[in-house]
Amino acid sequence: MQEKFAKRRTTLKAALAVAWGLTFASGFALADEPTVKVGYTQSRSGPFAAGSQTTQEPNYLLWADHVNASGGLNVQGKKRKIELVGVDDRSDIETMVRTYEKFMTTDKVDLVLPPWGTGANFAVAPVANKHGYPMVAPTALSQKLVDMKLPYYFVTLQQPKPMMAALVDMLAANGVKTVVVTYMDDLFGLENIGALEPLLKEKNIQVLDKKSYPLGVKDLSPMLKGMKAANPDAFIGITYPPDNFLVTGQAKEIGFAPKIFYTAVGTAFPIYRERMGKASEGTMGMGSWNPKMSKAAKTYFDAHVALNKKEPDRWASAHAWAALEILQQTVEKVGLDRKAMRDHIAKTEFDTVLGKMKFNGTEEVGVPGMVGQWQNGEFEIVWPPARATAKAVMPKVWN
Amino acid sequence: MMRNIHFLIAVALLAALPAIESPFIQSMALTCLMFAGLAVSWSMFSGPTRYLSLATSAFFGLGAYCTAWGLGKLPWPAVVMLGGCAAVVFAFAIGLITLRLRGAYFAVITYGLGELVKHSITHVEKTWFGTVGRVMTETPSSATVYWTVLAIAALAVWTYVAFGRSRYGHALRGIGMDEERAATLGVNPMRVKLIGFCLSAWFAGALGAAMAVRWTYIDPHTVFNPFIVFQTVLISMVGGPLTIGGPLIGALAFSLLSEFLRLSLPYLYMIILGVLLIVSVLYLPDGIAGYDWKRLWEKITRRKAPEEKP
Repeated sequence: MQEKFAKRRTTLKAALAVAWGLTFASGFALADEPTVKVGYTQSRSGPFAAGSQTTQEPNYLLWADHVNASGGLNVQGKKRKIELVGVDDRSDIETMVRTYEKFMTTDKVDLVLPPWGTGANFAVAPVANKHGYPMVAPTALSQKLVDMKLPYYFVTLQQPKPMMAALVDMLAANGVKTVVVTYMDDLFGLENIGALEPLLKEKNIQVLDKKSYPLGVKDLSPMLKGMKAANPDAFIGITYPPDNFLVTGQAKEIGFAPKIFYTAVGTAFPIYRERMGKASEGTMGMGSWNPKMSKAAKTYFDAHVALNKKEPDRWASAHAWAALEILQQTVEKVGLDRKAMRDHIAKTEFDTVLGKMKFNGTEEVGVPGMVGQWQNGEFEIVWPPARATAKAVMPKVWN
Repeated sequence: MMRNIHFLIAVALLAALPAIESPFIQSMALTCLMFAGLAVSWSMFSGPTRYLSLATSAFFGLGAYCTAWGLGKLPWPAVVMLGGCAAVVFAFAIGLITLRLRGAYFAVITYGLGELVKHSITHVEKTWFGTVGRVMTETPSSATVYWTVLAIAALAVWTYVAFGRSRYGHALRGIGMDEERAATLGVNPMRVKLIGFCLSAWFAGALGAAMAVRWTYIDPHTVFNPFIVFQTVLISMVGGPLTIGGPLIGALAFSLLSEFLRLSLPYLYMIILGVLLIVSVLYLPDGIAGYDWKRLWEKITRRKAPEEKP
């Protein structure tokens, strides 16, 4: 008994010694410069998790890893390691607001990174603005948010207008005369349809059928059958995952194969290609890059796959990365003074993975709206011609 | 009398919280108060009657939409009142139909009607107003929101106690024990249940109306979120819905614990929370407040006593 006790005590001592040693060692490693604390919430659970974990958080992790491997974040010449403070927001808006308040007032972190999704950004952007934290967001899509004109808030993703303009130009260039449109009953669907309709009219493209559907819809085949009967040149789905899987799968089932088949968000996700298999070939959608686009894009793609063991999506992932590049370049130039950072972001043209970026108010205006298409397992950019990595393949064929 | 004084002191202390100017502590307290208010109001009806209502999300969402519609047009207290009243009207309408059902049927239909409201609102918004989400820009200060939620929660506590002591409270408990017997003894079950159901709905609606402004933007999916009712029921069950202390302790423990675990163990907290819930359901069937802690204490002290002998 006594022996056992003594043994236990030695183990305890050893453990303590190791723990003490570790603290000491890490203390030494950090002794030269304090870390840069970066706070953020992402959805690791709940309905936003799929989007957040595809598009956004992997980029945050990659960024911290990448910067720390090169010695740290360059703060006006001084290298400081990044310390990510990332917590789950459970896809709950109130939790996000509360956590960002904690980051900005109690923890007084140096920088914050935005949460995932338009609704989340609507709630958190005013908080960041109030406490004077610049926030550069990749996943927010709403003209209403842009129109709030919050001075500390910036969005790198193309908004509905440029995205729909690119789509309509592409349709017109390919001689499309008639379309059918379906859209989701939410802000995203309505804003896109609001941008799309006048543009179609301008180009004299006729809308043969227009239908909306509610979130969480389980069957769209009756609608698709009606649209097939109208025999349009193009199908436009203002859809989100998981609905674009549903639309694609059911269009294939009934053999609805117009010249152009377009589904909006999530088409550029690698999971779309994996889930749909060969049916993904020829589908067009919202995107803005692929690894063939430039050397920088290839480097980013490879680093993302190496660290996260999954491919980035071909739309907002790169916008998330670009947002981090903007933040990094800003800190390098003006340090961590947040007012100076905001002013710098507002008036500077940045070099990013997507090319030149600059802001007009909240909205990024350097990167144009684009259309992408799955071709032989890669999401090729097919419009506008200046950015295209391949020619559009038509008509859409199910195989 | 003593209890009244304690209650007033607690409310006064909570009301002074914005003075310390810590937005995080204030919003943490806000979350606790919101869930306390929801759990107390839920327990007001579902505790004594044992009718498992899952309509709280619908009440909450209706309140939130009243704010989205009314903010800027009406003064703030009127907006919150209106939110509560909208929930009451809805509760009355569905109560007339659903309160004839019992058990799982009642739970499922209240949940289903919540979904119905969500889609109805989406439809109304889209066809009449040409929008689905709504942006609220001119919102009251966070201290105002906090005081409003505090006032609603305090009112819920007071109502819970007063209502429980009233004729209606006794009648509701009677219905929970045996509905036929209560009817035989001269209680009009439908009327009493309807009053209880509507009363509890007001608080959920008013809380939804008050909380909505925190998020700048609302759409049917964020405010008719089923997790609101699941958490409310969970808190009431874990705390124990039969005494006023139950939902209050439950809300406090659940909010603080889940926040603490979420921030300190970001990758493990869900598992730990799940285990804790299972344990509490298995070993505390009547909730934290319903458990006989005194007996447990006596048991522990008695068991220890023989060990002290040489």
